[in-house]
Amino acid sequence: MKKTRKLQEFIALPGLGQLVLSGVRPLIGILLGLLTGAGLIALTGVDPMDAYAALLEGSIGSPQSIANVLVRASPLLLGGVGVAIGIKAGVWNIGTEGYMYAGAIGATAVGIIPLPVPPIVHIVLAILAGMLLAAVWGLGPAYLRAYRGVNEVVTTIMMNYVAIFFTSWLVHEPQPMAEPGSFFPMSKILAPTAKLPILISGTSLHPGFIIGILACILFFLAIRFTPFGFRTRMLGANPEAARYAGVNVKRYIVFALVIGALMGGVAGATEVMGLKNRLFMDFVAGVGYESVAVALLAGGNPLGVIASALFFSALKAGGATMSIQTGVGAPMTIVIEALCVLFVIAVGYGERKRLERVDKAKKEGEEVKKYVS
Amino acid sequence: MVINDEVALRMEGITKRFPGVLANDRINLDCRKGEVLGLLGENGAGKTTLMNILYGLHQPDNGQIFIDGVPASIETPAKAIQLGIGMVHQHFKLVEALTAVENVILGMPSQRPPFLDLDPARVRLLNLCEDYGLYVDPSTEVWRMPVGQQQWLEILKALYRDAKLLVLDEPSAVLTPAEGEQLFKAIRKLSQEGRSVIFISHKLGEVLEITDRITVIRDGHVVGTIPTKEATQHELARMMVGRPVMMDRKSRPTMAEKEPVLIMENVSAKDDRGILALKNFNLTVHSGEIVGVAGVDGNGQRELAECIVGLRKRTGGSIRIQGHNVDRVIDDPSFVGYVPEDRHKTGLFLDLTVAENMVIKDYSRPPFMKRGLLQYNAIRKHARKLIKDYNIRTSSEEVEVRHLSGGNQQKIVVARELNAEPVLDVTSQATRGLDLGAVEGVHDTLLSERNRGAAVLFISTELQEVMSLSDRIIVLFRGEIMGVVEGEGADVFTIGKMMLGHASEVAA
Amino acid sequence: MSADQIISWLQATLRWGGPLVLVSVGEVFAERSGVINVGIEGTMLFGALAGIAISYFTGSVLWAVVGTIVLGFLLGAAFAYLTVSRRTNQVVTGLMFNLIALGGTNLLFAMLSETRSVRVATFPILFPESWSNIPVVGPVLFRQPVNTWIALILPFIASWILYRTTWGLNVRAVGDNPQAAATAGLHVIKLKYQAVILSGIFSALGGCALTLGEVGYFASGGMTAGRGFVVLAAVVVGGWNPLRTALACLVFGAADAAQLRLQTTGSAVPYQFLQMLPYLITVAALAGLVGRTRSPKTWGAAYDPKDI
Repeated sequence: MKKTRKLQEFIALPGLGQLVLSGVRPLIGILLGLLTGAGLIALTGVDPMDAYAALLEGSIGSPQSIANVLVRASPLLLGGVGVAIGIKAGVWNIGTEGYMYAGAIGATAVGIIPLPVPPIVHIVLAILAGMLLAAVWGLGPAYLRAYRGVNEVVTTIMMNYVAIFFTSWLVHEPQPMAEPGSFFPMSKILAPTAKLPILISGTSLHPGFIIGILACILFFLAIRFTPFGFRTRMLGANPEAARYAGVNVKRYIVFALVIGALMGGVAGATEVMGLKNRLFMDFVAGVGYESVAVALLAGGNPLGVIASALFFSALKAGGATMSIQTGVGAPMTIVIEALCVLFVIAVGYGERKRLERVDKAKKEGEEVKKYVS
Repeated sequence: MVINDEVALRMEGITKRFPGVLANDRINLDCRKGEVLGLLGENGAGKTTLMNILYGLHQPDNGQIFIDGVPASIETPAKAIQLGIGMVHQHFKLVEALTAVENVILGMPSQRPPFLDLDPARVRLLNLCEDYGLYVDPSTEVWRMPVGQQQWLEILKALYRDAKLLVLDEPSAVLTPAEGEQLFKAIRKLSQEGRSVIFISHKLGEVLEITDRITVIRDGHVVGTIPTKEATQHELARMMVGRPVMMDRKSRPTMAEKEPVLIMENVSAKDDRGILALKNFNLTVHSGEIVGVAGVDGNGQRELAECIVGLRKRTGGSIRIQGHNVDRVIDDPSFVGYVPEDRHKTGLFLDLTVAENMVIKDYSRPPFMKRGLLQYNAIRKHARKLIKDYNIRTSSEEVEVRHLSGGNQQKIVVARELNAEPVLDVTSQATRGLDLGAVEGVHDTLLSERNRGAAVLFISTELQEVMSLSDRIIVLFRGEIMGVVEGEGADVFTIGKMMLGHASEVAA
Repeated sequence: MSADQIISWLQATLRWGGPLVLVSVGEVFAERSGVINVGIEGTMLFGALAGIAISYFTGSVLWAVVGTIVLGFLLGAAFAYLTVSRRTNQVVTGLMFNLIALGGTNLLFAMLSETRSVRVATFPILFPESWSNIPVVGPVLFRQPVNTWIALILPFIASWILYRTTWGLNVRAVGDNPQAAATAGLHVIKLKYQAVILSGIFSALGGCALTLGEVGYFASGGMTAGRGFVVLAAVVVGGWNPLRTALACLVFGAADAAQLRLQTTGSAVPYQFLQMLPYLITVAALAGLVGRTRSPKTWGAAYDPKDI
């Protein structure tokens, strides 16, 4: 009993205790994931230590590699924070793949037009166009969930595929956006004024990650310090009680899902404008789903998204080096990522079970208890 | 009613303890073959626990059960079914996606495994329907069936398994009067066949009509068993609610000016199952008075509270608080304070901190919000004050509410809702799960609310506290007011009768 | 379109729809028991690769099938353990399975690169050559490999099992009201495991049917191309009924076959819109615009045995 009191007091330290406690569980999961990954690597005949060493080298071993990590982190940060807001509100937004395509389409549509405006204006316009189209993508599932109670997981996943094929159509001739006469279906190239600047020459580092980190910080502050954030948290914690507390539940569900769409749209837009410079068919290739994993690993906490996004992108960036140096294929990093998430949610069960047992005992004790004079 | 003197069921000295309370205290109960035994008692009296023991869901700490004179040890519901005990629960255990006949045979081995033998089952079911006058369509899915038919289906399930002893838990709760008649015909038939029925209900009229004997349970023990022929309403009410020691009535100043605050006119509302829960309800609560709502749980208390605070849409009538029409949740904390029946569902956010739970209604007002940002210092300070004032036990205001005990969680709700000095307080089962000291605290708080001029609607199934606190008492039965009495000098038996459905001549 | 084109299209419909139907049979059982196996996409991928690999190494399609079944069993059991016993979120678990499959099959395939150029043994066509000369019916039905036929017959068997056997009844009960099922004496956890393992086995077989069904090779990165999600969609559109779901799979397969054709022939309707069709139909179905169906009440929710 005394130990739990002490623990409770530690937990009470504003925010810090909670952060530590919520950080420990994912760490155990990640550790297990890495260990399993090591096991798999060993199965392929490679020494896991060598492989992980190469991973480290490839991710943080040089300015080049760090730049690489940050580039890969950009869409994960942006997409991830959008999904995280949904998690805070209690909705599952799995549509980031689709939002990224939609954002990319919007940005490309505006970006390939040679507008006589300064770059900053063109860039902002392109991003806004991307956000707009992504919002359109998210509205359907959002409305259906808020007003008809339709499971948003299935609807957002379906919209992903609609986006994939829509993109495919747009970049094939004779669509206006398509690059004429190209071997691989792609859009025309972006006007120079619509491209995001490269921060370090010789790398592909564009400011996307900065926008991402800023977004994470801003959303964290908003969730914690604004009434809007408070209502969102109430909704996620207990929709019934939230209704009583005056939260417009339907509207806030739509907000949460649309924010996820908007951020996914920015992710897609910045990928095209910073990295690819054209809209390619199938260019997202699973990054949207990885953003979902990032948000889950972070427990919906926007600051945590920074950590998990960097973790995932470090894995992926290091993967190429690992592949070259040790012959372990790059896709192994995706496997390790997914294993980490699986272990985290599987381990989380222990904590949930304990809480549920406590709740149940309290409830049973109360229902039978009666005031007897 | 055909009655042998053979005893079908005897429960001797059944004792069951749960943490903190003696649910069943040396209960003796017997039911003869072909007898309809009424089991009467308030919620929490111990009937549910007793029946759960009979059905194998709990094991008694002490005591013995005899079926047909043979001692029986009932470890699981399957064993109970084997012994011929059929339980018809108050809350249906039906699989809505399946048809009636599929529900009936669920869990029973098939005659030609692995295939279902639905045809013979259908025939047998229809025969049962014919025999007892409880008609269901075997091939209709349960979710398409009206509630009355679902009730028949629950009963038919037990009969299909050839139950010799049926326990019916509030079977007429969802039935129309006409369906109630059908039910009684079926019960009479069962009795003629020599089957025994334990009929649990708090509806006096029904109990008097259908049963042969009545056993009354109160506070975990049997008060008495009397033949129905000799039972009077007064006697039953006395047995059910009369207590050896009465709770003290709280003293209070007389309030001079009493303005109407809450005016409900002709209000009707449905419950979650679509059944009418409030019928043409009229009530006025004035400032400076506590109106207590007594009644057995499930007679519309929940719907009443939810309609007043705007959480439930009413199907008729009007509700006005200080002249304002109630159509949605009023989020001005100084208007209505609501302590809900189910605090986990409606009153608290378990994953948020104590401090945050304290401000869920006024977080967007100063001092908790300035220039669009939440001011956590002010929020925490406010919480600390309330923690102190209401004696809430927690290591800090930053702890998540789910870590607190039920009693302390309840205190948070009470503190939050009443602290803003609303014009109307609505509380439903406010003292549930609280220890004596905490209960005193809540009572004192409500009394001081009343003394300061608030209108208080105090809904509770604990008759003692209703009588102790209220200036006026209304009794709720099946969504209607059975009668109104003055709190001062109220007669517990009169109230008890009204709780059982006996309408008083006194107008509301 | 000419008659030949239509016939060819119908033939392709069955060819592409067949594997979908195969997967859907298992998934219907899983979802009826209350578990959405979002990971069937990944299981299909693993099954596709396993089929090729085993067929290559053993030269026998039969061993490929056996191996795939074992693989599907293991994957299904793993999914069941996570979602039923550890009560993890089914969506997350499924998505992670898919990611693991994506990376895993790419890795494994790279290691098995010898299989790339060799065509391996595929499912045989069990009908005499002459039958395929019968006009219309001939090419459409009788030039199908055996797995397509199995896929066409299975929904009927599945329907029979679901609605006419005790086990099927129990599975339906468990997915709709596990508390009532437990009260009636059913072993809820065991039934869920069984249903989920079935979905694992059949998705793996479906993937195997894709590669060994006629194609004979494994296209890394694009083998299943979202077909697992198409099946999830078909189950919803089909109202969790094996026959209607199979029909939905065939309709989606028809759209798939059509869009493949349109890619080469070109037409007024861009083929991508046909590709979108299954997904849009699903959203419409969920919105209540297409048919009135009722999902199993505990669709996607975790079951707590203590909830009685």
